[in-house]
Amino acid sequence: MTNPVSRREFLNLLGAYGGTSAVLQAGTALGFMPGNSQAAEISLQASTGKKVAILGTGISALTTAWELTKAGYDCTLLEASHRPGGRMFTVRAGTVIDEIGNYQRCEWDDDPHLYFNAGAARIPSIHSSVLKYCKELEVELQVFVNESKTAWVQDDAMNGGKPVRNTDYSSSMQGFVSEMLAKSLGKEELDSSLTESESETLLGMLRSFGDLNEDMLYKGTVRAGYGSGGFLDHGTKRDVIALRDLLKTRLAGNVMVTTQEGTGSGPLLMQPVGGMDRIIYAFANRLGDRIKFRSPVTEVMVTDDGVEVAYERNGVTEVLKADYCFNCIPSHLMSGIPNNFPAEYSEALNYIRRGKAYKAAFQAKERFWEKENIYGGITWVNAPTQQIWYPPHNIHGKKGVVLAAYNFGGANYTEMSQEDRIEDFLKHGEKVHPNYREMAEKPITIAWHRMNHMLGCAPRWARNRGGWSDKEEQMYETLRQPVNGRHYLIGDQSTQHSAWMESAIQSAHYALADLDQRVRSEPA
Amino acid sequence: MKKLMTVTTLFISALCNIASQAAEGDVGVAADMGDRYCTTCHGVDGLGNIAIEAPRLAGMEAWYLKRQLENFRAGIRGTHGEDIQGIAMRPMAAKLSDESIADIVDWVGDWDFVPAEATVDGNVNQGRTAFQSCAACHGANAEGNEALGAPALAGQNDWYMITQLRNFRAGFRGSHQEDTYGSQMLTMSKTLRDEQAIINVVSYINTLQK
Repeated sequence: MTNPVSRREFLNLLGAYGGTSAVLQAGTALGFMPGNSQAAEISLQASTGKKVAILGTGISALTTAWELTKAGYDCTLLEASHRPGGRMFTVRAGTVIDEIGNYQRCEWDDDPHLYFNAGAARIPSIHSSVLKYCKELEVELQVFVNESKTAWVQDDAMNGGKPVRNTDYSSSMQGFVSEMLAKSLGKEELDSSLTESESETLLGMLRSFGDLNEDMLYKGTVRAGYGSGGFLDHGTKRDVIALRDLLKTRLAGNVMVTTQEGTGSGPLLMQPVGGMDRIIYAFANRLGDRIKFRSPVTEVMVTDDGVEVAYERNGVTEVLKADYCFNCIPSHLMSGIPNNFPAEYSEALNYIRRGKAYKAAFQAKERFWEKENIYGGITWVNAPTQQIWYPPHNIHGKKGVVLAAYNFGGANYTEMSQEDRIEDFLKHGEKVHPNYREMAEKPITIAWHRMNHMLGCAPRWARNRGGWSDKEEQMYETLRQPVNGRHYLIGDQSTQHSAWMESAIQSAHYALADLDQRVRSEPA
Repeated sequence: MKKLMTVTTLFISALCNIASQAAEGDVGVAADMGDRYCTTCHGVDGLGNIAIEAPRLAGMEAWYLKRQLENFRAGIRGTHGEDIQGIAMRPMAAKLSDESIADIVDWVGDWDFVPAEATVDGNVNQGRTAFQSCAACHGANAEGNEALGAPALAGQNDWYMITQLRNFRAGFRGSHQEDTYGSQMLTMSKTLRDEQAIINVVSYINTLQK
């Protein structure tokens, strides 16, 4: 076992970032009591049949159509694809995966438990608007297990490439970090920042957080499971993984933060029973033939008193004239559709980059992960495949669908053949589960950059890691203003937190509120 | 009252549909497009899409389009690790049959040529001088010359031409040993000294009518 990093080294490192007392002083938000996150109340003035063209059927479009239809507007939705939902896409037996140059048809067993959410997959409890519609439209939800401490962490650089349990990793990391912080509390500058009572509370928390011994040292924990015994016999601790060994992988950031609900990935999340597209179809079925499928938009012209949208249907160009238009076509596709948007609006539209992401999944012959004490959660792999998810539903059932790759921000699959993609995730997965390859049936892959009518995943606004530039904020505001009071851009591209259904729905609510205000102020 | 009735109707139709559609999963199968996927990236009527960095196909010569599709399919183009846009295109062409290529070339031929908007503003005079060596193959008005295998440039998206000139100069395009015409272009692109020279010559091409 190697020596842990010395506390002095660690504290020097902290000092390099401004010092611990600076952090203490900066954190002055005591007394801050966040309110409950609540969905907006939509109360539109009833309309006597104003016509609305809605472009696309992502969740922002469906929300818009649903609310407007309830208020008496006459909505038509134009969808280029054969299916609604955009990036809310569930794959199950018979599903067509319409990837350009790589058409796939899912041939899994026809079983309601065997599905795969190829896009949106998780609903945090603070995403109130999504939950509001699930309730209103009677979409049954169940718990999604986002973190399992018995899942694995695998990195060729750590532990000779052999996987370690998430709990062995995270408990040890918590222990070492707590030990180092506990020791640093002895420093004079910290003493001057905290009262004696605060120090005691903090030390107590650190002892508990890291499972430190009386000397405030981390010497292993049974939280990581027992080395032996634990039920009929006293449990023994497992060997401690040295801090230096833990630091051999850069996966720490992923392993340690899956429980941060604020960014949307907490320990308790939800999913619709039977697939994320249950939400989409709950809307779509109610909207019925207001949705025109296989109807790609070919031109958008904003006029003085409305919008004219040309689209192709069965090889014929048709024109839809409407009073208003709500558009969730991805900006990068809208750039290729003739329009008469103002230059400033087009510039902003063209600025948004299409995000990269890909996923893969297979039907497992058996629920092999359950034999490894895993019931849901995520295994982290330091490879392009990044993640393996185990289905939290249908526990002890016969088969299950395993997410075999989820790379958010990568486009490797875009350039790979279907065979190479499959080989890639099998190769990495069998480092974690020796029988992985043998268990995998009928794999499918989703390369969002090549999905027909999408060509990308969550939009990316900020070009710099530091955050949004003033110019970007300005362009964002430009796109939030409707063109001539008639054309609204919606979807997560029109939000500052893309990739979440909640953002897309809120973008629709924002646009609807603007429309309602305009309609109400019209002369009677 | 009217509003209430609408809502009721919506719910009734919802109940009817759920049984027939939701259980099925998909509303329908993908439209039978064969391999006619081009417009998703290349824009309506192949007018090009800067956000995807996919150039205009409308107005492209049939013989040139055919050769490029075949080159992509064979890995002669779009396989250099630094040719980002070419790499994106290659898998689209990899599965095309001869018939599909003929069908696409035919289809693209239906689209009207509309010159692209200029997006760069270089020194046109300097560009004109530099263009003299281009004109030998591409024609004085950049109208293209099939006998020499040189495509028309006039009317093409300037941002695309800039990327391609950069790629030729750096050897990201045209360095495959079977890319006969590409290797000629690779040599010729070296006559453009730097980035500004590329922008100048493209700005001049923007002034030409096909």
